[in-house]
Amino acid sequence: MAKTFHLEIIATDRIFFSGEVEHLVITAIDGLLGIMAGHEPLVTCLPTGELKYLVDGEWKYAAISEGFIQVMPDSSIILADTCELPEEIDIKRAQEAKERAEELLRQKQSIREYYETQAALNRAMNRLKVSQKHFK
Amino acid sequence: MPNMREIRERIGSIQQILKITNAMYLMSSSKLKKARASLECTEPYFYKLQSTIESVLEHTPHTRQLYFDRREDIPENKRKKGYIVITGDKGLCGSYNHNVLKYTEQKLKEAADIDNCYLFVMGQVGRMFFQRRIQNDKKGYVDGEFLYTTQNPTLYRASEIAESVLAKFEKRELDEVCVIYTDMVNSSLQEPRTLRLLPFERKHFGKAADGTMKKLPKASFMPSPEEVMNYLIPQYAKGIIYGAMVEAFCCEQQARMTAMDAATNSAKDMIKDLSLMYNRARQAAITQEITEVCGGAASINQE
Repeated sequence: MAKTFHLEIIATDRIFFSGEVEHLVITAIDGLLGIMAGHEPLVTCLPTGELKYLVDGEWKYAAISEGFIQVMPDSSIILADTCELPEEIDIKRAQEAKERAEELLRQKQSIREYYETQAALNRAMNRLKVSQKHFK
Repeated sequence: MPNMREIRERIGSIQQILKITNAMYLMSSSKLKKARASLECTEPYFYKLQSTIESVLEHTPHTRQLYFDRREDIPENKRKKGYIVITGDKGLCGSYNHNVLKYTEQKLKEAADIDNCYLFVMGQVGRMFFQRRIQNDKKGYVDGEFLYTTQNPTLYRASEIAESVLAKFEKRELDEVCVIYTDMVNSSLQEPRTLRLLPFERKHFGKAADGTMKKLPKASFMPSPEEVMNYLIPQYAKGIIYGAMVEAFCCEQQARMTAMDAATNSAKDMIKDLSLMYNRARQAAITQEITEVCGGAASINQE
């Protein structure tokens, strides 16, 4: 078995994951980033996206929205607004949120409202994507 | 000796109040259960966020970042201070609102110039209080557009608040921002607390629950420290405000539950006392009637 490091994923509403993992792949603001044990200290931000981690030779997937990661050689911490497993995602709710956001985008909005709606749309589409990809 | 009718009416009205306080007690205890659960879920995030940011900041190279700008060129009495005050939406929760309002007043007094204090009050009780106060002596400033409820805190609301405050900071409408909220020390002790939000300072972070952060000599930031900080700080502000909201909401329910429980108990005591008094009054009336009848009979017999 490969060398492992301690990973903690903490969302605002729960401790999503805490344990030893072999490999972690995240979507950072400038692209995909793979992290293994012994990685150099690093801080970066995570926009809404997908992440996966390797536990006991099995890849686990999750949908994450807005957060940041602190990487240290033997441990990593991810703090995020929300984090969900593909099977936990409420597809109907995400679909509704997506439609609502699309509807709002067609209307005239202030720049701030526009960004907020875009972020909401982003979250909804990310949820749909992750659940469609990994949970059938 | 008050008469029987008066006592009976009083018992009736106390019973009505008892029903209300008891219902409120039950309601707040079920709400408290919910708030507790969400507090327990959020607390790890709240503390971890503080400790992680603290350790991140230790390794952040000195950047000319907007949110770190302490604006030392502005003299102390010209600094515009913003306070986000979290109070309840309703009264009848013991000293909860009173404590946080008194604490805020004290903070305002400590401030060099009260005219440069800007209050962002969450919750009806606090808003009414400060608006009235400011109408009277025309000092300080309450943001009238800052209308947020404290019921059932959501992340969305927290992010809206964070954004509006950060925007004000960027536009130099505010030079310092603090959050005043009630912290749940344990279920019987609650304390108002201040949390410094902006500008960022390395020493101003609260203690972590575990306090065991590993030191790392230097961390790299991707893509750049400025970029990461631009993203991280709104995130941090949002997290802190959300945490404070959850904490305060839980305290409010706890305070209301305790207050209503005490009210119910004292109403029960009062009813007990009053019914004793009522029985005495009734007995006295009966005794008096018997005495009168006997007296009347005796005088008839004498004739």
